[in-house]
Amino acid sequence: MTEKNIPEPFATAYKEGRTFLLEHEALKVFENVGVVFPPNSLIKDVNDAIKFANKIGYPVVIKAMSPKILHKSDYKAVVIGVNSDKELEEQFNDMKERLKNFDLEGILVEKQVKKGTELLIGMNIDPTFGPVVAFGIGGIFVEAIQDVSFRMCPTNKDRALRMIDELKTQKMLNGFRGLPPVDRNALAEMIVKISEIAIDMERYIKEIDLNPVIANEDGVFGVDARIILKDLS
Amino acid sequence: MKFQCHVLFVTTTEHKSGSTTKMAENPLENFFNTQSIAIFGASESEDKPGFVIAENFINNFAGKTYLLNPKGGEILGQPVYKSIMEIAEPIDSAVIIVPAKYVPAAMEDCAKKGIKSVTIISGGFKEIGEEGIKLQKQIDQIAKENDIRIIGPNCIGLFYPKRGLDMVFLPERKLKRPTAGNISILSQSGAFGSAFLDIMGSLGNGNYLSKFVSYGNASDINEADILEYFGEDPETKVILAYLEGFNEGRRFIEIARKVSLKKPIIVIKANRTEAGAKAVASHTASLAANDDVTDSLFKEAGIIRAYTWDELFDCMVAFNSTLLPEGNRVLVITDGGGAGVMASDTIGTLKLELATISPEIVKKMKEDLPPYFSVSNPIDLTGSATAKEYLYSLEQTINDPQVDAITFIIIPTPPAIDVKTLMNGLKPFAKSIKKTITFCAIGGAEAVYIREEFEQMNFPFYPTPARSVYAIKKLTEYADYLRAHGQKLPLIREVPK
Repeated sequence: MTEKNIPEPFATAYKEGRTFLLEHEALKVFENVGVVFPPNSLIKDVNDAIKFANKIGYPVVIKAMSPKILHKSDYKAVVIGVNSDKELEEQFNDMKERLKNFDLEGILVEKQVKKGTELLIGMNIDPTFGPVVAFGIGGIFVEAIQDVSFRMCPTNKDRALRMIDELKTQKMLNGFRGLPPVDRNALAEMIVKISEIAIDMERYIKEIDLNPVIANEDGVFGVDARIILKDLS
Repeated sequence: MKFQCHVLFVTTTEHKSGSTTKMAENPLENFFNTQSIAIFGASESEDKPGFVIAENFINNFAGKTYLLNPKGGEILGQPVYKSIMEIAEPIDSAVIIVPAKYVPAAMEDCAKKGIKSVTIISGGFKEIGEEGIKLQKQIDQIAKENDIRIIGPNCIGLFYPKRGLDMVFLPERKLKRPTAGNISILSQSGAFGSAFLDIMGSLGNGNYLSKFVSYGNASDINEADILEYFGEDPETKVILAYLEGFNEGRRFIEIARKVSLKKPIIVIKANRTEAGAKAVASHTASLAANDDVTDSLFKEAGIIRAYTWDELFDCMVAFNSTLLPEGNRVLVITDGGGAGVMASDTIGTLKLELATISPEIVKKMKEDLPPYFSVSNPIDLTGSATAKEYLYSLEQTINDPQVDAITFIIIPTPPAIDVKTLMNGLKPFAKSIKKTITFCAIGGAEAVYIREEFEQMNFPFYPTPARSVYAIKKLTEYADYLRAHGQKLPLIREVPK
């Protein structure tokens, strides 16, 4: 790989021979264009973790950042609902110990968002139509539910709003089981931003997953983020 | 010579990015408005494509036809030239029907003669594998060096009834040609396209077709170019497409976005499992590995997607022969309780609304009609219905602002219905109607008679209640799309003579 002038964080990932960005790297790419994530920080030391958690407030989520782990749930590399200094200390140390052979770059400590509707925003390069942005019902059952719609990248807000209207399970979006209705405007703006990243970084990005994106009473937040890289060779 | 109508290897897996700068004039213009044409491979044997095409042009073409065959001689009294160099006058287009291995030589002849628009009907190219791919590259090279544009190879070419431009090598006795009308068709498959032409030709007065292109292997001109041309063509008011794959999927969608604001584009995209499953790393990619992407992007671009032959036909008839609705409230008029219930079910399933007839109209109808008729929605005229009451019900509701569309379902069997009186009574509506309407008749011989009468009136006819409601649904979706994009509803339907 001889290409020059690759921007960060892509350059580091390619240099390390990775096929994906670590989540904290992906967050930078998204936050650069204004996609909102809960307050978060990549931390190595347990005391720093406690300090940060006190600053943002409990509960928090902790996630292991390892170049060897793409699917975090396969390795119990995510712990949610951490509620106190004591719990954080235990879970942080436990995660570090369990995954000590996984070249941890650190542990991402993130404010846990309130319960909301779990959605998905993503991007894929279609063999026929090129980069397409996806919006659908998210969470762990995405492939089973398969309620998703697509637009060509880049898209605009009107198209993104129509895309949201095209989901079959509109009930899920209109405030299901006591949840507030999702903020369609904020979602449409997020979809547009993801579709623009796909074009701006077309040279490097192969796939994007924001799953889940949580829509709750406070707004719309990316919660788990994944960027898969193109092979440049 | 082997004619392969069905294209096997056209789908490309590489996407081409965005639209490039296009020439000011679409290349299709020269194909359709050519003043003179050379037919390479004209034949005197009546069962050969080379004969059928020669005959089509000699009998119908509005320009000058030159027949070519190394054997020379005469076909239907017209001279056959052994070489294009024997012809002194300039020629602006050609159709090539010779066996694949002779096509490069014919292309060289076209280049020498200054011909810029060439349709290659012959099969035996990319679709047969390596040897054919080589030949196709060879003709592409000749075309590129000489600024020649190609339709085909491996296709049935063009048909433009208004100018008698007919490259369809299937004889009139086997394939009834439609006459000049509003619909233009692009088809990747020659067999599908020609069968659809046959159906159009046999429907009503046959006045359906503006232009037809079967583009086969699309070595040069592809689905996106043709869509763009039909979009700009003032004679084309409805576009139908049969596609199995895309050569320029992205550009097709970009063009469709603009064209769909002016005229309906109805597409079958067959080969729905082509994307197939692949090993992917993200949720998005696994969700995108199917036909849903095509579905979504068609919606984005305002393309009306048909999944089956029936749906394509039903949409074609609806968009060509009735009006776009102002809303989604549908009224059912019938004499069959069961038919009414089934139509209502479909209205519910397809998320249309059952219209509520304006109270003053209901009041008047109740006063005028026998008490055992049900004046609500559906209006059920029961087995006691007569032609007069059918016509009366339509007259009363046709201008009701609470009704956006009507589906009129006739069970012709009750003893008091005289179908002739009914059909004659409907004829004035065919001239004056200002509302979306679909018709259905269920039954045997009388239903067939009714269908033929409706086709003559240029009214959309369907053999089942479900299909007559489905047609309204597709019209409604398109009208909604236009309204959401700030467009007026185009008027397509032509009043019958």
